[in-house]
Amino acid sequence: MDPLVITAHTLTSAAGTGIAANAEALRNGTSGLRACDLESVNLDTYVGRVPGVEAIALEGALAPFQCRNNQLAELGLRQDGFAEAVAAAADRYGADRVAVLLGTSTSGIAATEAAYHRRDPQTGALPPDYDYQHTQNMFSLADFVATRFGLSGPAMVVSTACSSSAKVFADARRYIAAGLCDAAVVGGVDSLCGMTLYGFNALQLVAAQPCTPLDRDRAGISIGEAAGFFLLERPSADARGPLLTGYGESSDAHHMSAPHPEGLGAAAALQQTLERAGRRGGEIDYVLMHATATPANDGSEARALVRSLGPTPRAVGSKGLTGHTLGAAGAVGVAQALASLAGGFVPPTAGLHTLDPELDLDARAEAEPRPVQRVLVNAFGFGGNNCSLLLEAPQ
Amino acid sequence: MNTIGLHAVGLLGPGLGDFETARAILAGTAPLAGDAINIPPVRLLPANERRRTTTTIRLALKVAEEATTDSDRSQLRSVFASSSGDMDIIDRICDALTQPEPVVSPVQFHNSVHNAAAGNWSIATRNPAPATAVSGYNATVAAGLLEAATLQQCEGGEVLLTCYDVPSMDTFIRVRPIPHAFAVALRLGPVEGAPWRLQMDLGGAAVADRCATDELEALRASNPAARALPLLEQLARGTAGHVTLDAPLGRSLSIRIEP
Repeated sequence: MDPLVITAHTLTSAAGTGIAANAEALRNGTSGLRACDLESVNLDTYVGRVPGVEAIALEGALAPFQCRNNQLAELGLRQDGFAEAVAAAADRYGADRVAVLLGTSTSGIAATEAAYHRRDPQTGALPPDYDYQHTQNMFSLADFVATRFGLSGPAMVVSTACSSSAKVFADARRYIAAGLCDAAVVGGVDSLCGMTLYGFNALQLVAAQPCTPLDRDRAGISIGEAAGFFLLERPSADARGPLLTGYGESSDAHHMSAPHPEGLGAAAALQQTLERAGRRGGEIDYVLMHATATPANDGSEARALVRSLGPTPRAVGSKGLTGHTLGAAGAVGVAQALASLAGGFVPPTAGLHTLDPELDLDARAEAEPRPVQRVLVNAFGFGGNNCSLLLEAPQ
Repeated sequence: MNTIGLHAVGLLGPGLGDFETARAILAGTAPLAGDAINIPPVRLLPANERRRTTTTIRLALKVAEEATTDSDRSQLRSVFASSSGDMDIIDRICDALTQPEPVVSPVQFHNSVHNAAAGNWSIATRNPAPATAVSGYNATVAAGLLEAATLQQCEGGEVLLTCYDVPSMDTFIRVRPIPHAFAVALRLGPVEGAPWRLQMDLGGAAVADRCATDELEALRASNPAARALPLLEQLARGTAGHVTLDAPLGRSLSIRIEP
């Protein structure tokens, strides 16, 4: 496929605010997880909570959007000169030629949870200051980002659980190819809320200790939150940077909340990605896995990697740094891949103590400094929804 | 954008049992009578999965099934477009979270994802093709059409677009007044062999078309998925025509329809 160039990006997660802090944590395996201290949640688990989200005040035209998800989005958008890059793109192409395609799984549901606590005891009515459209509705995130930048290109939110913010990269490629826009703001935001913490806990998928992806003793996920944004354009003399050269999407068609045991859907997404990019498995430096640290997920994904890349592929799990950021996981993975391409290192798998001997992977606890050209990024979600992306160093 | 083929339509709404029987109502030659709606179980799912479905999933899959009757369901890509997703589950979970010791149902939680219908559809049809789930608030139909049309144009083959929204539950009816369920599915694909051809363009601000009758117009205004009704009216008329829908961020989606 014709590649797209990533001309600007930013990441805010529990591992750091902005791409420099996240890259440093990625290289050193420094975890941002901490014991769950959310006021509304009483669970024995660790979370990837971003500091400073509550202090963000959305004002003026953005005031109706005030909720944890959009506050986290705003904190992210203030980093790394991303806002300036989007403004320049809007000047260059026109505000109606920049798409806003973003992923989230739960949008601003924390606002609804809070409103339910404040229902009128007599009538059950929600409080009058509750704004459904601008907080909990799925489209809120794209609406917020478009409003903040004055953009009016094609816009939507993709919400396919934990693959959401990976799939928007494929959408950007299609929207640009179809002539609907010249550039796209993509990425995703998901934020901590009672629904996901108690929901994953009900599924018995949450670890009591910080998650340890790919480890023999892994015991489930740690839930995190993050905001990652990317500006995608066609490559040109003025638009240079790392490239999106392939994507793959598939469905397991197997189960709503468990992956296909042999990873057939995941393998199909990986193979499609390589085909679109015109690459062979041997040309990939490593795979930044979805690796949520549940026994079933990591096993299924490892089999998918072997199926599509051959035995013992080099692989990295990064959720020990940030927690599983759900709908933002794809965006986190892409930003980490870009940090690795730019910094010349294969990241360690944070939290890895003893690699699970059942996983035919080459995963390491230490960073490996060396030039990195191509990284596959995986993001898989409930509903058996799979997406893989290939990121390549600037040419 | 390229012209694409519309191969089949599925429909379910108050007084609208399926597209074929609703044609006369949509064409304005028969009145919309009553607001009865029957959302059947999903025949395509195995019994144990069928028991775990929600009204939202059943609503979406009923029209998806109708629009893919007599076609190969095992390969086509799918786009599931809903403004609000599963409001019933959101209500139950948010209510549970107000309890001192919150207990969330695991099945409700995995069905709470916006792509619950998409996941169930892929399981029901044993279809490994990509599926997606999108929202554009009240312009979700236009967002879904753009997503489906770009998929068809860039990846080829057939694309199933399913737009659906369930009614708001009691707690939400004042902040999000959606009184009735509504769902529509469009099976899009190459123009060859298609009974209708659609030419879509994303335009600037424009006034969206309204329905021809007061009854259908009231329905159109009351559910985000029913914003597709002016398009369905034009299809039912059987003549060439043009429809304008609201697109996200104050834009419009202009659709030229040719039989």
